[in-house]
Amino acid sequence: MKRQNARTLALIISILTYLVVGAAVFETLESKQEKSHKRKLDARKYELMRKYNLTKENFEELEHVVLQLKPHKAGIQWKFSGSFYFAITVITTIGYGHAAPSTDSGKVFCMFYALLGIPLTLVMFQSLGERINTFVRYLLHQAKKCLGMRHAEVSMANMVTVGFFSCMSTLCVGAMAFSHCEGWSFLHAFYYCFITLTTIGFGDYVALQRDDALQNDPRYVAFCFVYILTGLTVVGAFLNLVVLRFLTMNTEDERRDAKQRALTSVGKPRGEVAHLLPISASTSSTPVADDSTKAKDLKGVYTEVLHFQTICSCLWYRSKEKLRGSIPTMIPQELTFSDAYMQQNSNCPHYVEPGSTGCVCSPHQCSSISSITSGLHILSPFRVFKRRSSV
Amino acid sequence: MKKQNVRTLSLILCMFSYLLVGAAVFDTLESESENSRRRVLEQKRNEMKKKYRFSEDDYREIERVVLQAEPHRAGRQWKFAGSFYFAITVITTIGYGHAAPGTDAGKVFCMFYAVLGIPLTLVMFQSLGERMNTFVRYLLHKMKQCLGCRCTEVSMENMVLVGFLSCIGTLCVGAAAFSHFEGWSFFHAYYYCFITLTTIGFGDFVALQKKEDLQEKTPYVAFSFMYILVGLTVIGAFLNLVVLRFLTMNTEDERRDAQERASLKRDRGEQSRGSHRERNRSNAVHSRSHSTLLLPMEEGTSRTNLIASPAEDQLRQRIEMGKRWLKKKYI
Repeated sequence: MKRQNARTLALIISILTYLVVGAAVFETLESKQEKSHKRKLDARKYELMRKYNLTKENFEELEHVVLQLKPHKAGIQWKFSGSFYFAITVITTIGYGHAAPSTDSGKVFCMFYALLGIPLTLVMFQSLGERINTFVRYLLHQAKKCLGMRHAEVSMANMVTVGFFSCMSTLCVGAMAFSHCEGWSFLHAFYYCFITLTTIGFGDYVALQRDDALQNDPRYVAFCFVYILTGLTVVGAFLNLVVLRFLTMNTEDERRDAKQRALTSVGKPRGEVAHLLPISASTSSTPVADDSTKAKDLKGVYTEVLHFQTICSCLWYRSKEKLRGSIPTMIPQELTFSDAYMQQNSNCPHYVEPGSTGCVCSPHQCSSISSITSGLHILSPFRVFKRRSSV
Repeated sequence: MKKQNVRTLSLILCMFSYLLVGAAVFDTLESESENSRRRVLEQKRNEMKKKYRFSEDDYREIERVVLQAEPHRAGRQWKFAGSFYFAITVITTIGYGHAAPGTDAGKVFCMFYAVLGIPLTLVMFQSLGERMNTFVRYLLHKMKQCLGCRCTEVSMENMVLVGFLSCIGTLCVGAAAFSHFEGWSFFHAYYYCFITLTTIGFGDFVALQKKEDLQEKTPYVAFSFMYILVGLTVIGAFLNLVVLRFLTMNTEDERRDAQERASLKRDRGEQSRGSHRERNRSNAVHSRSHSTLLLPMEEGTSRTNLIASPAEDQLRQRIEMGKRWLKKKYI
């Protein structure tokens, strides 16, 4: 089976297993407590109903009012600061639900707002996270140099350790701040920070819901917003370091497969001139441009193959002048091909005037190939024809 | 300024302006309605307090009881079906909050469960999404061939259109189903599906919360779970098609910069030290690049790939092979 399919199947099975195992554990941990808690609440409820002579309908009405008043109890939710808080929970997909649009137009706008905002936020956090990782890598490198270590290179293990510790400290800082400002225990505040920064956002604990903090305490409000956004950046940087490469695994494999398929099929039509050199197919089908990401389709691959031939073209071009007087009849096919290619590429960005260096490849386009041209210049030009025509 | 820095700064500015604009619009849309509703509810509450002559303490007690009993109103939340539902909302980061762990042990386990589950889920959805996109691309290609189209290549626009239509189709199917089973209006059911499949998960609308649905209506429960997971796959496939390339932009630019720096250094080294010594250096670089854990800072490469980029390594290998072969043959 193809690697990508096997990988995908394995992942699906692991997720389903993970869900089943998680469900079983949660059931064990929570079910009993749920039952006893419900019994206690029901008992209290019946006491109160008896004390005030409430019928079931009365109590249900009361329940309804109390539940609907719940968001209002926490303060005004939709003034500017509350709306800003809500907008953050939408585009970061945290989604506490402490306040949710009640009007239909609010719901519609919320959907459009999320449609554009969520990808924008994802890209922003990954972008900023990558910058942070690069900066941290630079700092670590300098630190290692200063400490006079033998190996001043920053390994992946170093980066992962630093990333993990930054995440833990972000959570701890938040836990301390919120346990102090909201009156939660340290564990509950840590749990709140964790649920927020992983964007799960249950809403069982929500900051800025006590004593109308949204309207009365602008500094605490600003701290909360800054904390959520920087915390998400730190977590995003860690994800960028560790997880992002796995998200593109299938796509990279598919690209590689397509390239291999394309190259093996492009190589065939040139078979008529491939009798000369027994260079292995792998050598001749070297993907040239390191920007190999551009070679998504057959056209791109063909361009790559042609580009590879430019190496030999450039050497051939130099030698063409030398051979002008000697044996032109021996190489009619290669000559026409090369001429056609030169003409075709006269409009190409990397085409260099023949008079200058005699070389068509510019160092920026085939940076790693320049080493080959330097190595090959010592070879006899005539023999190089044979090598190129095998491609 | 470097391209990556400019890009990052402009994205930050975009996001802040987006938040400000959103906040202003939400304020305009919801504030008035909130005020009027609040007044109505408070009035009702005061009426009831007067009618039943609650003391302040007792009323607060009633409030507490009602609020704490809220999740219980929807039935048993932590039997296996409910726990499975909860586990889904954790690892997909939807997080309705209709049920949240009450015990401290539950909270701690929830955190560890999320730490491993969320990256696993992200990778799974992207993996499956990419497979779906490949399959759809193949189907479209075959269709174009059958229809005798001139150009049988599947363009990006085709894929984006198909992806977008599948997302809308998924949302509509869900909206129809949930509006029927939960008794919501079509619009509210659509809103619920949207909020769920974007993993925002407010919790203002939650499926499977009508009395004892989780325990009794097993086929409906199975349908809901399937819908959430399949819907997230469809959305994930669309994101894989459209958004994923942007997440790696900075990393790719950084890689390209590093390679350019490295190649320029190598060119300079060629000219000054001669090709022989340069070849040794390039061999050393080549051997170092095989070590997948190292990030050689001297080269300026900031590649973070755990899995070394195969194209570059293969390319170097082949160049070396070609060089050696040619030298053997002709010298």
